[in-house]
Amino acid sequence: MRINIGPIHPSTHGALKLVAYVDGDTIQKIETHIGFLHRGVEKLMENRIYMQNAAYAEKLDYLAPLSWDDLYVSAVEQATGTQVKEKAQYLRVILLEFQRMASHLLWLGMFCNDIGQSLTMFMWASRERAKIIKLLEDVSGNRMFYMNLRLGGFSRNMPRDFTERAYDLIGYLEQKLAEYPEVLDSNPIFMERTKGVGVLSRKDAIDCGVSGPVLRGSGVSADVRKSKPYYVYDKFKFIAPIRNTGDAYSRYRVRFEEMHQSLGIIKQALDTMPQEGDALGSKIKLRSNDANPAPITVSRELPRGEGMIYMVPGKQGPYRISLRSPVFTNLYALSRMCEGAKFADLFSILGSLDIVLGEVDR
Amino acid sequence: MLLEIQSEALVKTLDELKSKGFNYLKKITAVDHGDNLEVLYMLYDTESNIEESVMVRMPAVYAEVPTIMKLYKAADWYERELSEMFGIRIRGRDAKRLLLEEWEGTGTPLRKSFRWGRPPGVPGGYIGVKQQ
Repeated sequence: MRINIGPIHPSTHGALKLVAYVDGDTIQKIETHIGFLHRGVEKLMENRIYMQNAAYAEKLDYLAPLSWDDLYVSAVEQATGTQVKEKAQYLRVILLEFQRMASHLLWLGMFCNDIGQSLTMFMWASRERAKIIKLLEDVSGNRMFYMNLRLGGFSRNMPRDFTERAYDLIGYLEQKLAEYPEVLDSNPIFMERTKGVGVLSRKDAIDCGVSGPVLRGSGVSADVRKSKPYYVYDKFKFIAPIRNTGDAYSRYRVRFEEMHQSLGIIKQALDTMPQEGDALGSKIKLRSNDANPAPITVSRELPRGEGMIYMVPGKQGPYRISLRSPVFTNLYALSRMCEGAKFADLFSILGSLDIVLGEVDR
Repeated sequence: MLLEIQSEALVKTLDELKSKGFNYLKKITAVDHGDNLEVLYMLYDTESNIEESVMVRMPAVYAEVPTIMKLYKAADWYERELSEMFGIRIRGRDAKRLLLEEWEGTGTPLRKSFRWGRPPGVPGGYIGVKQQ
C-alpha cells in the first residue's frame, strides 16, 4: 500500500512530501520529494553584490540563521582578504555556540512533540531557548534574523553588560539542562520510541554522506571545529561527542552532550576574551574592495552538520556560489534508515534528523 | 588538493581514491565558464581528515559525466541537481522526476545563458524579466 505524507503535515517541519510503501505497518520503501521551497538562492546570489547576499544566507536555516550568516560572511572575508579582529573572533564563537544551543533546544522540544511525549519538553526547551534568543536580540537588534555580522567583525559593539549576562545565562542553562534527563532518559515512553529506532550503520552513514550529529551518532568522529579549526576554536578544550549505535537515541545523546560542550566553550571564551579593543567590522558599502578571483572553499560546523560554501568570486558579487547544506544529505539518508522500520516510527526517525527545509531546497 | 582529469577517467580515478581512503563524498558542484563547464567532486577521508577534489572540464555544448552512484550513494541527489541546474547529462542514470524544480522545461537555471522569467506553457502570471 502507498501512503502519501505531506507536503503540508505538522510533523514534516515544513513542506516535505514522503511517499511510504508499506506492507502491513512495515515500511518497505520511502520516496522523499523535496523542492517545495526552492527559491533558486544560488542564482539569486550570483546576481547580487556580496553584502546583499548575507540576507539570503540567513534565510537558508531559519532556526540557526547566525550560523549560515557566519559561513557566508567568512567566505566573503576569505575572498576579499579581510582579517577578523581578535575580539570579534571570540565573540563570534560565543554567539555561534549560543546559536547552536538554541537550535538544539528547539529540536529537542519538537522531537519530543513528534514522538508523543506531550508538551512538557517543548515548553521547557522553549523557555531556555527564549533566554538565548533574548540575548542574541539584545546583541544584534533583531529577534529572528540577526544580520549583525560584517566583514571583519560585527555591525556594532556588544552591550556593556554582555559578559555578565552571558555568565548568568550559562549558569541558568547548566542548571536547567541537568533537569532534562529526568523526563527523557528515565522516561520509558521516550526510550522505547528512540532506542533501536532508525538505525544508520557507520558504513551507510559515510556512504550516504550525512554529517553533524547524525554522522557522529553513527560512530564517526567528524567535526569541522576539530578537523579544520576556525576562529579560536583550537584554543578551547572540548570534545565532539560520539555514539556508536546510530539510532534516534544516539542522535539525541550526541546533541544533548553537544549542548554541554557548547556551554564549556562559551565559558572558556568569556574567560579568555581580550577586554580592550572593539569588534566592529567594516561599514556596508555598495562597492567593496575587489575580491580575489581564485575559487575558495569554506567549511563550518553548523548545528545540523557540515555546511560548506564553494565560491568563485566575481569582483563585486559571487560569479558562482555553491552551498552544501548538511540537511540535504541527512534527509537523503532517511530512505535508508526507514527500510524495514515500523510506520509509527517514521516520524521518530525523521524528527531525529533535525531537518530544516529552507536549506534543503535552497 | 585538486586533480584535473578527463570525464572518461572519472570513475576509475574516484575508484582509486576511494580505495586510498577517500570514502566520503562531500559535494558535487559545477561552474559555468561560458564555453566550458567544470564539474567538481569533493572527497573527504574520515579517518585522516584529508580533503581531495577532482575536477572534470568539458565543453558546454556537450556536457556529460558518468554516474558515480556505484561508488558513493551520496552522489544520487547531487547528480540529479546537476542535471537539472546545469543540463549536464549523467551517463548511466535513468531520467527521474525533478528534484528541486517544479516544471519540466524551465531551462537550466545555473547556466549563465539562462534567461529569467517563465517559459511558454508554464502556468501562472507574468513574473520577472520578460522572455526575449
